[in-house]
Amino acid sequence: MPNSVGAGASAQPGVVVKQLPYLVLGLWGVVLLKCWADGRLNLLLHSNFHSLVLATGVIFLLLAAAGLRWSQSIPSRRNYLPMAVLSLSGIALMLWPPKPSLSTLAANRSSAQLGDSELSFLSPPEQRSLSDWVRLLNSQPDPQLYAGNPVQVSGFVLAVPGAPPEIARLLVRCCLADATPVGLAVRWPPKQKWPTPDQWLQINGVMAVESHQGVLRAVLVARKIKPIKAPARPLEP
Amino acid sequence: MANQVALVNEALMQQLATVWAVFQGLLLEAIPFLLIGVAISSVAMAWDPRGKWLKKLPQGALTGPLSGALLGFALPACECGNVPVARRMIAVGAPLGTALGFLFAAPVLNPVVLLSTWAAFPDKPWLLLLRPAGSVLIALLLSGLLQLLCESDLLNGELLAERNLSQPLAKFSLLERRSGLIGEPLPQIKLLNEANKNGDFQPIQLLSHGVNEFLELGSLLLLGCGLAALIQTLIPRDLFLLLGQAPTLSIISAMLLALVVSVCSSVDAFLALGFAEQITPGALLAFLLLGPVIDLKSVSLLSRVFTWPALALVLAGVCLTVLVLGQALNLVLL
Repeated sequence: MPNSVGAGASAQPGVVVKQLPYLVLGLWGVVLLKCWADGRLNLLLHSNFHSLVLATGVIFLLLAAAGLRWSQSIPSRRNYLPMAVLSLSGIALMLWPPKPSLSTLAANRSSAQLGDSELSFLSPPEQRSLSDWVRLLNSQPDPQLYAGNPVQVSGFVLAVPGAPPEIARLLVRCCLADATPVGLAVRWPPKQKWPTPDQWLQINGVMAVESHQGVLRAVLVARKIKPIKAPARPLEP
Repeated sequence: MANQVALVNEALMQQLATVWAVFQGLLLEAIPFLLIGVAISSVAMAWDPRGKWLKKLPQGALTGPLSGALLGFALPACECGNVPVARRMIAVGAPLGTALGFLFAAPVLNPVVLLSTWAAFPDKPWLLLLRPAGSVLIALLLSGLLQLLCESDLLNGELLAERNLSQPLAKFSLLERRSGLIGEPLPQIKLLNEANKNGDFQPIQLLSHGVNEFLELGSLLLLGCGLAALIQTLIPRDLFLLLGQAPTLSIISAMLLALVVSVCSSVDAFLALGFAEQITPGALLAFLLLGPVIDLKSVSLLSRVFTWPALALVLAGVCLTVLVLGQALNLVLL
């Protein structure tokens, strides 16, 4: 009859060594479930992958429980280095949740080119999200078409070298590694200091046309600016 | 002065926080696929512990890699997932060409990747044809090239020892198999082959094999994700795309981007959609062909299959082939 999971304290060193791989696997099961439960996946991964992470965490825990229950009947391999690397990184993942600077991330990447095909329908101007506006401006680039349209969008402040900051969102297809920014140029109120990068804002205003480097472009004239909390799902598909 | 130091410190901390977040994103996305690969590998071990069936896969210079590539339709995993499967094939003595064909082409030749390519580029039907065709060509060329090496120069030491154990005694002596030496316990290799007298594995042995393989490959995946996160956060992505419409340089820059960005082959077409209009058609094809074979994230995993010199040969071979394919496409379309 193999020893049960709780045999650890009185177990011989050999038994503990045999159980170590399953303890590491169990730790990673807990790490994945914690990542799923604490909402960080919303910041890191496209929603398609969330259930995969959850299922993987559950499978790891089940396998770890099975291994701890029956592992003493077979010889063990001593992968101390991989186990140490995985254990330390698992603990680090639990202790330090991700707090990326979206502005820093976006500054290194060119804007996403959103195709016309993604513009399935047009909602009224004030109901369009920031990415809807960018899609629309990509598909119908004439800025005169939108002059005077009311706008209400939310996003984070993206610093632009040598120009006023934009209001932006990040689009992901897979994970934060492939996130690309979409941003709207903003004409900030003249007597106000520009907001700091990464700050989340809701902006009410109207679309206008301005000349930028000799080319006409649409610009959001901010009338009302309200700081908001970062949304639970800051990335857009 | 103090203000400047504080600003630099703040910028550095922001960069590090971003690297940490990108690392977590890459890792959490890849781990489920690694689990799938390890699970398939373990099931293959249970189903065919002595490689009886896998050894019967075609061995020809063309038919071997082609049949391996086509296995991707049956085992749709991205590059993280198919490394453990290819390792298992090699370990049980499957024809090397078949295993290599699977390793290099299956990440593209599977329904998930082909569907995502079509969904991302419905206006570029040539891509739906050229991506799998290019991938098969790469698999054929790399398999042919790598099989010019003897197995001891090609395969990672532990994998080679395990493969030798599965070869008939007519091919390897006891000494070469290292299974007849007194005082040479090789516990790891013995465990992987510790089937009972009927050639079957107990479930706990399969679990032990799977868990140990996951620990080994998982720790290497961590390193790969860390490296990829560091480089892609610190180096502006635009640098890789600066060379835009220059026919040859755009291909090289897209290849560098594919190596660095390290996303899964099932979604890389959607990522490419974001910059497809900025680069040449050849560069787009090069991006979609290179990443599934090798990138910063997978290079550490591949080091459990190949020796480092062989891995360098893989990198050189695939880069050269992809460059030529991209150039050929640019010649036709530009």
